[in-house]
Amino acid sequence: MSTRRRFDATVVRLATERLQAFTQANTNVQLAVLTSGDGFEVASYPSGRPSTAKVAAMGSSMQALSEALSREAGLSHARNLIIEGDSGSVLVLGLSGTSPQVSLAVVAAGSELLGRLLWASRNLCKELEAELTKTP
Amino acid sequence: MSAADELKIVFTGPMGAGKTTAITAVSDFAPVRTEVGNNDQESFAKASTTVALDLGQLGLDDGTIVRLYGTPGQDRFSFMWEILGRGAIGVILLLDGSSPDMCAHLRTYAEVFRRVAPEQPLLVGIGRTSPHDDRPLDACNAVLAEMGCSAPVLSVDVRRRDDVLLIVEILLAMLEARIAEVAHDVH
Ligand SMILES: Nc1nc2c(ncn2[C@@H]2O[C@H](COP(=O)(O)OP(=O)(O)OP(=O)(O)O)[C@@H](O)[C@H]2O)c(=O)[nH]1
Ligand SMILES: [Mg+2]
Repeated sequence: MSTRRRFDATVVRLATERLQAFTQANTNVQLAVLTSGDGFEVASYPSGRPSTAKVAAMGSSMQALSEALSREAGLSHARNLIIEGDSGSVLVLGLSGTSPQVSLAVVAAGSELLGRLLWASRNLCKELEAELTKTP
Repeated sequence: MSAADELKIVFTGPMGAGKTTAITAVSDFAPVRTEVGNNDQESFAKASTTVALDLGQLGLDDGTIVRLYGTPGQDRFSFMWEILGRGAIGVILLLDGSSPDMCAHLRTYAEVFRRVAPEQPLLVGIGRTSPHDDRPLDACNAVLAEMGCSAPVLSVDVRRRDDVLLIVEILLAMLEARIAEVAHDVH
């Protein structure tokens, strides 16, 4: 998708590699999308899914809403958003310290244990944060 | 309108039209905002953009509470237009009178909100117009006539509280007129 040109090609490649490794290690993960704060796909795995652009835009809206709600509720910072569906779950996690601001959306099917998925997703965020904040 | 009513109105329109500015200008408290850094300076050069919603509130003298919802502008967030449009009693569509895309934007948003909120009054507010130049207003009136859509078109500076209050009041007056019309038809 042309919007990827907004972001540094090296960042996109490195992030895609991390998302691929994550998806392969966590077999119930159907889609992992790194999205800019304003809803553009930065990187995704598997790539080219028809729903990816929508997941990216919706993920960024949900992330912004979670942060707004956390502020109103007096919680200092929203860490993750968890949606449990009948047949799977969606996680949205904000990354810290990156420019542009990004978040990670993970769509997982079926019986993936939520705790394990969250733990793995947080680790992926840490890796991505380290990658994205590296000085070039 | 009975006292202590709670009404929801929606501000919509393209990126940079001034939805967030308008709500901030009239809200009784600092609005809830979902602004993030804008990575699409080609579409509109400004630092931040709304990605989920703005939410402000305006209390009227008769006790009515008007909840002011602002949508994101970009069509990748069109799912929020649908969500926020539900239950709205009226829609204010803000446009940028200096944009070559003004008429295309009018068509897009008027079509969406006519579907999402078909019975509700629509008002079009055009910003960045020059005084004595009615061309943007005329162009919008022509598009609306072609669409068979009736909506007042006004010039508005979203940075001015009085301007925004005026369009909110006009929208509420349109709503009252419709309610009166329906009541008349019933009797
Ligand atoms: N110079 C000038 N600036 C204006 C005028 N009307 C609005 N603005 C500015 O235009 C900008 C509009 O920005 P926002 O209020 O964020 O616009 P928005 O519609 O919420 O945009 P998105 O959330 O990105 O869709 C603000 O900086 C306003 O001050 C005008 O008539 N003249
Ligand atoms: Mg806005």
